[in-house]
Formats: sequence, structure tokens, C-alpha cells
Amino acid sequence: MKNMIDLACIIDDDTTYISLVKRIIETKELCNNLLVFSNGKEAFDYFSAILKNLSQDHMPEIILLDLNMPIMDGWEFLENFLTIQHKFQTPITLYVVSSSINPSDVEKAKEITLVSNYFVKPVKINELEAIFSPQTV
Amino acid sequence: MLQNELFDNVMQDFNAGYWKLNEVSGIEMWSSVFYEKLGYEIGSFPETLNYFLETLIHEADKKLFRNNFLMYQRKDINFEQHIRILNSIGDYQSFRCNTNDQLPINIQSSTKLLFFMSLAVEPERTLVKSYFYYQETAEMTETGSWYVDFKKKKSFWDFQTYKMMEYPEDHEPSIKDSANYYAKECRQQAATLFFNCAVAGVPFSTEIKMLTAKGNIFWARAIGKPVYNDLGNIVGIRGVFQSIEELKKKELGLEKSIDIIESQNKRLFNFAHIVSHNLRSHTSNLSLLVQLIENIADPQEKAELIDDIKKISESLNTTIEHLNEVATIQTNKKQKRVLVYFKDTLRVIRGSISHILKSGNATVEADFSGLESVNYIPAYLESIMLNLITNAVKYKDPSRDVVIKIKTYINEGKKYMEVADNGSGIDLELFGDKIFGMYKTFHYNEDAVGIGLFITKNQIESLNGTISLTSEVGLGTTFTIAFG
Repeated sequence: MKNMIDLACIIDDDTTYISLVKRIIETKELCNNLLVFSNGKEAFDYFSAILKNLSQDHMPEIILLDLNMPIMDGWEFLENFLTIQHKFQTPITLYVVSSSINPSDVEKAKEITLVSNYFVKPVKINELEAIFSPQTV
Repeated sequence: MLQNELFDNVMQDFNAGYWKLNEVSGIEMWSSVFYEKLGYEIGSFPETLNYFLETLIHEADKKLFRNNFLMYQRKDINFEQHIRILNSIGDYQSFRCNTNDQLPINIQSSTKLLFFMSLAVEPERTLVKSYFYYQETAEMTETGSWYVDFKKKKSFWDFQTYKMMEYPEDHEPSIKDSANYYAKECRQQAATLFFNCAVAGVPFSTEIKMLTAKGNIFWARAIGKPVYNDLGNIVGIRGVFQSIEELKKKELGLEKSIDIIESQNKRLFNFAHIVSHNLRSHTSNLSLLVQLIENIADPQEKAELIDDIKKISESLNTTIEHLNEVATIQTNKKQKRVLVYFKDTLRVIRGSISHILKSGNATVEADFSGLESVNYIPAYLESIMLNLITNAVKYKDPSRDVVIKIKTYINEGKKYMEVADNGSGIDLELFGDKIFGMYKTFHYNEDAVGIGLFITKNQIESLNGTISLTSEVGLGTTFTIAFG
């Protein structure tokens, strides 16, 4: 039996992308459960709720974050999330997965220590496999 | 023979030294003025050509002078030449060297004479010449000079200032009413500058609007500086006015171009954004999908995934349509404006979106009594009104029926249209700077596309208008359009 990631999280407003990543995760058996939020605010509300009421078991090990989203974009999410990150006991690995090829976006993201890596869409299947392999976590 | 005394008097007045040539002996006689001009004692040199060539004349002038001199002496060929001669303090002094017949005055003489006229001391000619240059310069550069004399309490203008200010030459420039020479809005500026210059000696150089006698206004660069007497007191101000009307026109034109370029740049930036983000997200989905298809063995499952290609290609199409819409705004701008009646436009819209209005239980209350029509591109007015109305329905407050109030009016000569709704409102503090951006949505609706307001703003701005809004969450939003 494979040592699988239990809970991962995608924050992205592109429904096509999400359904494709879901398929890949299922096909490749990359994790057991997947949380999906269509913008930064939904995700941040969820994480805030965990801190208040829920057990931290519901905390994902991996977050895939898009940058360009309505309501609350990836940057604003990062800004907000950094203020509550220390309250979580489990380690969280966050990747930015964005279609932006703007070098200033890449640099800006990599300067944030919370961001483990920056992937430009289209993300490759083997990249996803690497992200979800327990060694990297 | 010459009447030496008379001749010398004439020459004194003429302020020129000369040589008298002796054809027989080959020895010259150098006049006393010649010595004086150079600061030497009379008779301190052997008065021969050779000595002159060897010790006194500037090296560069030597050859030509020698030739000229010999030709004149032997063959009677007259000449005129500029030469430099070493003086007693070791500097070279410039002279014009003439033979008799090259002189402006007629000196009767049977003897050959060579005159040396100091170039530096030709007062009358120089003045006439400089006045000519001054006048040319003043006219060509449109620069008038002036002087304010505090002692005489008088102001003096040169011809060019009179010309530029369109006053008759007998007009006496007034110090007391000098404000009248400036455009109204510049009078304070002029007063301050003159006061500072007169009292504190601060020179000035500024751009200012002048007002002529005929009521014409032109832009000028005004430069002035204080004039001091020997005691160091300020006794006047001297300066120039240069017309920069043409330059200023160009500058203002340039500013306008910059504004246009800036707004086009913004549009281009949005373009680049759609291309880089929105188009890329479709193509990257396609590429992800292809990878997935390659990784799946089951043919049934593969066939299902191919269906997804259709979905993606549809989204791609929509994005390209949006892109096209943005692009055509610039081209449509050249369309002719015609008189459009608001009530006609609203009638068309009511017809085309009756089902949307019905679904939101929406009523549109219009009051066009303040302004019935506007000169506009009809398609734009329709698109703008339609967009604001459908937005109002889309983002309605679920607890009440939609009421949209449209009002047109004129305020201080400008034409406005206001579209107010009682919808859910937008949190301007959170989204204020993003409302008119591309693909920005602030609501949780499924069908929020985020292109409408971007297009609306671009259409309005391409016709030199502006759009602004006020909004309160839970109460509604009011858009105000100022037509350009």
C-alpha cells in the first residue's frame, strides 16, 4: 500500500482545471481527499473556521494556490493566511500554480517563505506526482 | 606733396595710422598714429617692410600681406586686408589695412598710402551693425525687451515688445497699470515676481500669459533681473518677453497625446493580461487534458475526456470574443456621433431584455426631462445602458424586487446620465480600485463574468467621457456617466 497524502487543497476559480486535476489525482491515486475552493476568501474562511471550531485533522497537508481569482486573489490569500499560519500544529506545504508567466510574479511568490515552489500552468502530470509524493512533504 | 598737418588732422579724426610709400627708396614712412595705436614710441623701428614682416605682423597674416604690399607698390594694385600686429605689451591687435581707393573717404594724394584702421574702434559702424543684429534677433525669436526705471518711474519697451503687445509706438507703458498687460489669471503671478525682483532682487524666468491691447492672449516666457546702481541699490528691472505661443501649443498638444497614450497603454495592459492569463489558462487546460488522455488506458474513459475538449474550446472562443470587443472600441471610436434620444435607446433595451427584467421582477423608472438626447455613437449608448441595467438585475438584493432609476441632466454645461439601483451594492473599500478592471467580479454569482464594466468604461472614455460610482452594501449602487 502506497503512503498517500490524506488531505490536499486546491484554491482556483477555473472549474475546468479543477476537474482535470481531480481526474489526475484519482487516476494516479495521489491523495485520499481533496478540498476545493473557488477563490481565496472561501479558503481563508474555511481555515479560520478550523481554528475556531473544527479539529485540525481537517487541515490539508498540501495547498495548491492560484493567483488570479475573483473576490480574493492568491496574493491577498497569502497575506491573510500568513497572519494565522503559526496557529496550526501540522506542517503545511503551499505551492503556487498559476498561468502567470510574469517574472515579477514568480519572484514575488518565491520571496514568501510559505511558498515552497511556483509552477506555471499547464502543470505536468509528473510535477503533480512530485508535489504529492510524501518525500517532498 | 601732402599737406602734412591737414592730412594728419583728418587722419586723427579718422583714427587711423598709415604708411607713406616711397617708390624710389623702397623705404616707408610710418605715421605717429600708427606707433601710438600699438603703444610704441614714435620712430622706434626701422620703417621697412622686412622689419615689419619679421617682427611685428602675425605669422598667419604675413604671406598675404607681403604679396598685397608688393603688388600695390610695384603694380598699383589696391587691396584691403585684415591683419594682426604685435603691440608694445605683447598682444596682437587687429587692423583693417587699406590702400587709398579702398577708403570710405576720398583722400587726394599722388603718394601711395597704406592705412591701418583699428578694428576694435569703429564705434558707429559697430553700433549700426549690432542694432541690425539685435533687431533681426528680436524679430526672428519674437523676443521683446523692456526696462523699468524706478527712479524715473517709467517703463520702456523696445519695438518688438510694442509689436507683440499690439500697442501703438506712442503708447507709454504704465507701471501702475502693468497688471493689464497680463491675462487675468496670471496677474497675481506677475505681481509676485516683479515685487520679489524689485524688493529682494530675485531674478525670474517664468511662463506667463500676456494680454495685448487688442485683447489677444499669448503665452510668453518672461525673464527679468534687477538692475543695481553703484551703491548696490536696485534701480530698475531689465528683461525680455519671448513669445512661446507656438511652443506652448505644441506642449499642450503633447500633453493631450500623452493622456491618450496613457489610456491606450492601460487598455493594452488589460489586453496583455487577457492574453497572458485568460487565453493561457485555456491552452494550459488543453495541454493538461492531453496529458491526462495519454495517461489513461480505458478507451471509454478517453472518449469522455475528449468531450472536455469541446468545453475548453468554447471558453476559448468566449475569451477571444471579449478580446475582440475590447479591440474594436478603438476602431469604433471613428464612427460618427449622431443625436440619440435616451427614450429610444431605452425602448430598444426594454424589448431585447424583457425576459431578464421579468426574471428579476425589475422596474425601470426613467426621467429624461433634464436632457432628452445626446450626441453619441448609438451602439455605445445602448451598450452602456444595457450593461448597467443587466448588472443591476444580476446583482439584485434577493430580499426585494429590482428598481432601477435612470436620470439624465445638465450640470454646469456638462451632460450626465445617472443609473441607480437598489441591489446588493459593492464594498468600495475592498474593491474600489478594481471595479472597472477586466475579469474582476465581486459577487458570488455564477454568471458574473467581469467584462461588462470594463467595456463600458472603455466605451465612455474613448469618447472623452468619465464614469464614476457610489455604492453602499445592502442599499444599492449609483453609476454616474459624464458624456464627453
